[in-house]
Amino acid sequence: MTQVPPSQRPAPVVGVIPFGGASLTAAKVIAAHVSGYLDLEAEVLPPAQTPPAALDEKRLQYNAAALIQAIEAMALNDYFKILALFDVDLFIPLFTHVFGEARQNGRVALVSLFRLQTNPGGSSPSTERVLERIAKIGLHELGHLLDGLHCDDDRCLMHFCGDVETLDRTDLNFCRYCRLALHRKIGRPAGYDG
Amino acid sequence: MRIMVVDDERIIRESFYHWFQKSGHRVSTAASGEEALKELARTPKDLLFVDIKMPGMDGIELLAKVKEAYPETIVVIITAYGSIESAVEAMKIGATDYLLKPFKPDQLSLVMEKVIQQQKKQSEFDYLKGRLEKITRFDNIIGQSDAMMSIFDMITEVAGSDASVLLSGETGTGKELIAKAIHAKSPRANRPFIAINCGAIPDTLLESELFGHQKGAYTGANRERKGFLEVVGGGTLFLDEVGEISTKMQVDLLRVLEEKSIVRVGSRQPVAVDFRLITATSRDLEERIRSGEFREDFFYRIHVIQMDIPPLRERREDIKLLAAHFLKKFCHETTKRVDRISPGAYRILENYDWPGNVRELENAIERALVLSRSRILEESDFAFLQPPITALPGDPSLREMEKYHIRKILGQHGWNVTRAAQALGINRVTLHKKIRRYQLEPDRP
Repeated sequence: MTQVPPSQRPAPVVGVIPFGGASLTAAKVIAAHVSGYLDLEAEVLPPAQTPPAALDEKRLQYNAAALIQAIEAMALNDYFKILALFDVDLFIPLFTHVFGEARQNGRVALVSLFRLQTNPGGSSPSTERVLERIAKIGLHELGHLLDGLHCDDDRCLMHFCGDVETLDRTDLNFCRYCRLALHRKIGRPAGYDG
Repeated sequence: MRIMVVDDERIIRESFYHWFQKSGHRVSTAASGEEALKELARTPKDLLFVDIKMPGMDGIELLAKVKEAYPETIVVIITAYGSIESAVEAMKIGATDYLLKPFKPDQLSLVMEKVIQQQKKQSEFDYLKGRLEKITRFDNIIGQSDAMMSIFDMITEVAGSDASVLLSGETGTGKELIAKAIHAKSPRANRPFIAINCGAIPDTLLESELFGHQKGAYTGANRERKGFLEVVGGGTLFLDEVGEISTKMQVDLLRVLEEKSIVRVGSRQPVAVDFRLITATSRDLEERIRSGEFREDFFYRIHVIQMDIPPLRERREDIKLLAAHFLKKFCHETTKRVDRISPGAYRILENYDWPGNVRELENAIERALVLSRSRILEESDFAFLQPPITALPGDPSLREMEKYHIRKILGQHGWNVTRAAQALGINRVTLHKKIRRYQLEPDRP
């Protein structure tokens, strides 16, 4: 058996999949931020159909745990981590809704556009604002896949945000401790990015 | 934070589990109230999320049990069936908050913030309690009762003088500890503290121990030996059970106290000595003076200052503090992990009369800890303290009373004759004689 030298090993790739009616642009934005912020190669995969079995007919929402299970069963072994983008409303049994979901140190994370496209008062945010929110949720959930924990710093991307107002107040950046931890997990030095 | 989720729905338990994992909390789950209590007995928790409706023990019943046994554990009630009545009831029993399933993610964040604030207050309280505990301790003597506070004050007052102190009190009240504290606070603190139990040493040996002897003073005295009155050199000599010493020895000691010199056994040469004398007795010395067993002149010489140490039953407010201290001490000394004493068990300790005083309480905690298989000492662990159901009938004779009492004390000390003798205030030889006389034997299991 020949051993591949570290420099020639294929870099880990994060796959971003738009499901159902989720926009390809949003998927591309997430991929760009993953590459830019975490120095990981990210690839947008062809759109897929939202697994219908995950729909909870009483709540008319999609069960995040069931979606994660369905995506984990898909043939995506070439990808280091998967970020799945949905246009439907997601829930976990505990909560009324979630913006995204990931298991700690897991392989698949979900991002839902559903509640990010409306402001708390009911007005519509600008496209830039929506894409920024999507990027924040995508990076936050990928952080969990890389074993990052919720952060007490309310300006850090790993800080838990239960509503869009809090999400909008958060910087589009990891605090230095979370950034260091995530880069350590990936096995790369954390570069200075301001 | 150590969190436990108690819910009969697996999916809810899993949701909570994954959610709290993301914040780095240690999460465990239980499917019923019974399972939760078992887990709590093994590992204490900081925060519990408890579903109200569960088969078997419901959330309210579990909340009540948790609040009784683990008052500092924070409980948040969760339910899919909201009702004002159950919420009010849960809050009255001690729940910190109440969440209606499913809830908005930020509601859980707010609850967690509240819990963290409550925990902070609790740790501040524990810190202050710790400081208070330091105040309630004087060297190794523990007490917060008025009686003990007066003793602490008196120790400080008498420590500065060189006057003889007589400590009177029942056996096991901590007379030696008080003697040590007086010594430690005195100008003689950097000199030796020597304690002798006069009740445990035969008179002839006591003479040699105190005064020393010359080589050849008697058979077996192969070399010269200094007595404790010399060895103590500038320190404090503590004579426990001073009421047990013979009148001859009282005369000898009286002379030493007056002349500040001794003559070794077998010698004629006086040797100057310098020591402070503290004596202790569990007997009524004035009664013994009246019966001619104790010399009045010696009594007045040793009781310049008298301190009466109250028995534990007269300062019951110290029992809880002492029990908690001994539990901590024995947990530290052994590998056994016991977190606390249950409120019910504390009630037993506080209601018991403690004839062997603090020493008996210490032994009881050690025994309960060694035999306990749980992380909490419960009422059942102190069953040996309950008075036997078969008490003495009618008006028992003194002999019957003595036999009954000796059997009880032996039972309390697991038939350890040394400890039982200490608790009874008699020496081991006397106790063995009484065991033979009354034909006492341990109860068969």
